[in-house]
Amino acid sequence: MIHRTLPILLALTAAASAQDGGQLYTTHCSACHAADGKGATGGQFPPLAGSPWVKGDPQRTIKLVLHGLTGPVEVAGRTYNLEMPPQGSVIPDDHLAAILTHVRASWENASSPVTADMVKVARAATADRKTPWTAPEILKLHPLPAVAPPIANLISSIYPGEWQDLPDFSKLKPINVEEEHDGLISITHADRNEQFGLVWEGEITAPKAGKFTFSLDADDCARVIVDGKKVAEVRGIGPLNGSRAKQGQIKLSAGRHPIRIEYVEFSGQEGIALAMKGPGIPGWRNLSDQPLPPERPSLMVTPTEERAVIYRNFLADTTPRAIGVGFPGGVNLAYSADNLAPELIWTGNFIDGGRHWIDRGQGNQPPAGEQVVKLSGSRALADTARFRGYKLDPAGNPTFSVQLGKQFVLDSWKPVGSEGSPAFLRTLTVNGQGSPVEFLISDKLPLKKAGDQDYELGDAIQLHAENAALESRDGKTYLKLAPGKPVTLTYRWK
Amino acid sequence: MSHSRSLASIRGFLFCLCAAASASAQQQSDFYLREEIPLPKGEVMELGSIALMPDQKIAVTSRRGDLWICTGAYETDLSKVTWQKFAEGLHEPFGMFWKDGWLYLTQRPEVSRIKDSDGDGRADIFETINSDWSIKGDYHEYIFGSDPDKNGDIWAVLCLTGSFTADVPWRGWCVRITPQGEMIPTCSGIRSPGGIGFNAEGDVFYTDNQGVWNGSSSLKWLKPGSFQGNPSGNIFYDQAKNMGPRPVEPNDKSRILAERKRIKEFVPPAVILPHAKVGNSPTGIIPDLSGGKFGPWDKQVYVGEQTASEVQRVCLEKVNGLYQGAVFHFLSGFEAGIVPIRQAADGSVFIGGTNRGWASKGSKPFTFERVRWNGKTPFEIHTMSALKDGFELTFTEPVDPATAGKPESYAMDAWTYIYQAAYGSPEVDQATPKITAADVSADGKKVRLKIDGLVQGHVHHLEAKGVTSKSGGKLWHPEAWYTLNEIPR
Repeated sequence: MIHRTLPILLALTAAASAQDGGQLYTTHCSACHAADGKGATGGQFPPLAGSPWVKGDPQRTIKLVLHGLTGPVEVAGRTYNLEMPPQGSVIPDDHLAAILTHVRASWENASSPVTADMVKVARAATADRKTPWTAPEILKLHPLPAVAPPIANLISSIYPGEWQDLPDFSKLKPINVEEEHDGLISITHADRNEQFGLVWEGEITAPKAGKFTFSLDADDCARVIVDGKKVAEVRGIGPLNGSRAKQGQIKLSAGRHPIRIEYVEFSGQEGIALAMKGPGIPGWRNLSDQPLPPERPSLMVTPTEERAVIYRNFLADTTPRAIGVGFPGGVNLAYSADNLAPELIWTGNFIDGGRHWIDRGQGNQPPAGEQVVKLSGSRALADTARFRGYKLDPAGNPTFSVQLGKQFVLDSWKPVGSEGSPAFLRTLTVNGQGSPVEFLISDKLPLKKAGDQDYELGDAIQLHAENAALESRDGKTYLKLAPGKPVTLTYRWK
Repeated sequence: MSHSRSLASIRGFLFCLCAAASASAQQQSDFYLREEIPLPKGEVMELGSIALMPDQKIAVTSRRGDLWICTGAYETDLSKVTWQKFAEGLHEPFGMFWKDGWLYLTQRPEVSRIKDSDGDGRADIFETINSDWSIKGDYHEYIFGSDPDKNGDIWAVLCLTGSFTADVPWRGWCVRITPQGEMIPTCSGIRSPGGIGFNAEGDVFYTDNQGVWNGSSSLKWLKPGSFQGNPSGNIFYDQAKNMGPRPVEPNDKSRILAERKRIKEFVPPAVILPHAKVGNSPTGIIPDLSGGKFGPWDKQVYVGEQTASEVQRVCLEKVNGLYQGAVFHFLSGFEAGIVPIRQAADGSVFIGGTNRGWASKGSKPFTFERVRWNGKTPFEIHTMSALKDGFELTFTEPVDPATAGKPESYAMDAWTYIYQAAYGSPEVDQATPKITAADVSADGKKVRLKIDGLVQGHVHHLEAKGVTSKSGGKLWHPEAWYTLNEIPR
């Protein structure tokens, strides 16, 4: 017995002492995960202190550090979407063992040491891997350690009904009641996904006495009640994307407390995310199977009453060189400087900058408003044409400029609608001498003649054309532009 | 390995004790005044570029795409600065300068110039000069643009898609944009740039970040026609007739020194900025052209460091046709991760910072700062230059020959990195060049270190902790990292 344990003890001691894990952590990890393990810049980066990701089977953490991580990852109830660069080619086995031993024994963490041999095993097992992991990939190999059900004695009651806000459930009768043994609220157990209400009841545990915060988000509406007191609620119809999330606080004594969650789904997408934090809980503790959406506040970009606003970034359903313009009066467009024409027009809100202005800003942002019309999605002029920028008039209305040999095609947009009848006036002009220019107006929307100068463009737009020769060919609509002869098109939503 | 590391940390510990005991230890505030410039209230000013304008105005751009103009940034009392918003809706500009009434911008999708033609204080003409490269729509497809070179060309370096692949044309390339709006492919081999700028001679350099085919971050010389080390973008050679045939593919898990013998276009990094020791994310580059108004560093180069929130100092020299030189720690304590950096004619250095998406030592989300020199010169290694049998050190003041003349006052170690397709590299091929003599010049300003065992291609790390000045002071920054691409003949 002695003979068997002594070498192991010696090996562990050697692993711990040969490399200074704390110093190596500072060198390789602390820029993002912070010296205190709580995540740099006030927790904008994932914490390691108290994180289940660094607990339990060390292979998960080792493989993650060796190959990096890409895409969204949930840590302690919050979703992060950064990039963890692979370190396998930078950090040798004994150094990585020392770092992870340090991480697993520091702050509130108390997991077993990691040896260089474990790193060697992980390295060999993943030698073929060329790309960083996604969170689901690594969790499939090495799930997070099981946790006690966060809500004890959880039962769910389902109520069919068409509500656009929370009803008084006490006056209603559920059609089904279930025990939820995993202790997580989830709408995936409901037998439907449209027009219903759900109520969950159970008990949460406060590890220590103090003030606890509950964060709630839902599609559509929800309310959380602890110790019989309303703590947070999300009202009305809307998405679960962080923009309507609500937080509330309550003082709790140490021990168990009754919790009740009420929820309504009207139609379309559905979901609920609830988490709590407070004394004795590292980070957020999820109470739902769906984590809180990234803390991405809505950063709505809006024109002033007098002036249009421009937003250039990656927009959904157009090309990377997109130029968004939001006009006073609630009309908006997305011009593609790749395809040399506006591709989207819509009404209402312009753009939410939250996606691109928080963290690294991945992905394409869709319009924030309504009645989105995709006018076109291919190049409006010949391949030799070049985007040459735009001019703004004093109201911020743009004139886009495209060079085609010695000619310039000028494409001006301004709002002309009235309340309840949003519209754009577009003026197209070819400057310079030369032959007429054929300009693509739409590559998909069918054009239907509705009058002398009036057309229907697709289902949503009435098009009024002056001095214009519109021509439909193979399902596409073209405009012939003669040099020096401006053409005006009015786009009006039906 | 572990043995030498713990020795180093003990040495470091002893040095700290000594420094603490000596009341005369030099610190930044003895020489440089770092001040935050108040930003417009309520605005998120994550700065990406800084341009100097006439009448001591300064233009800055934010990552959100705003352009603001600051008045009063040269004044002693910075609390009185005023700001005016000049433009919005720009696409993440990382490069801006003023010329002939226009502000020129390198934006993610295009190089453009903008101006206010009706005098209402807001830009109304946004003219696209060139947009002949592709963007796939990945957030990592950054572009950093230079000031105009002597021909008026703007040099721009294009990050790989996701910093790994060249999915669309000219990702991973340096291109020049001429005043006529032409795009000229100029260098291949770029990975993930953090800044671009000139040295005092007007040659163009950029910083590239540790990652695939970059064992460590470094400062690289954009010699026209060169290959910078990352082969992903080499698929576009068939569209760049001016660049000649596609270079030979590099061997994986090799060394830069070995591969540049195989690949004639390969220009090695001029100065490696050893990962984690010097920094993690190098950014903006400027030459000191103030003629000594920012200290005695005339014609040296400053490099921003995003993660460490530092400005580092680089001395460059050309040996056998290649640039190489040393990096020194210099200014630190900035409030956020540094990205753009600018020097004004009065010597003041302006820096902008952001740490959104990439953490930094400075913990504020963004910052705009000014650093001025107070006229006092720190005791520093001014220049480190290669000799055929060692290095010559030039100091900012005369040294004490009793300490500076002793080889034991110095220590040197050397290493290189694996040149590989994997991300980064450990330090490898460690060597310990032996300092056999230290000869102090008659004026006490120079020391010739005679060294056995210089290794071509290696980073040579010098510690000069035992050296004191004539007045007994220790060096402010006793370390230098010299990249020995070539040994002088």
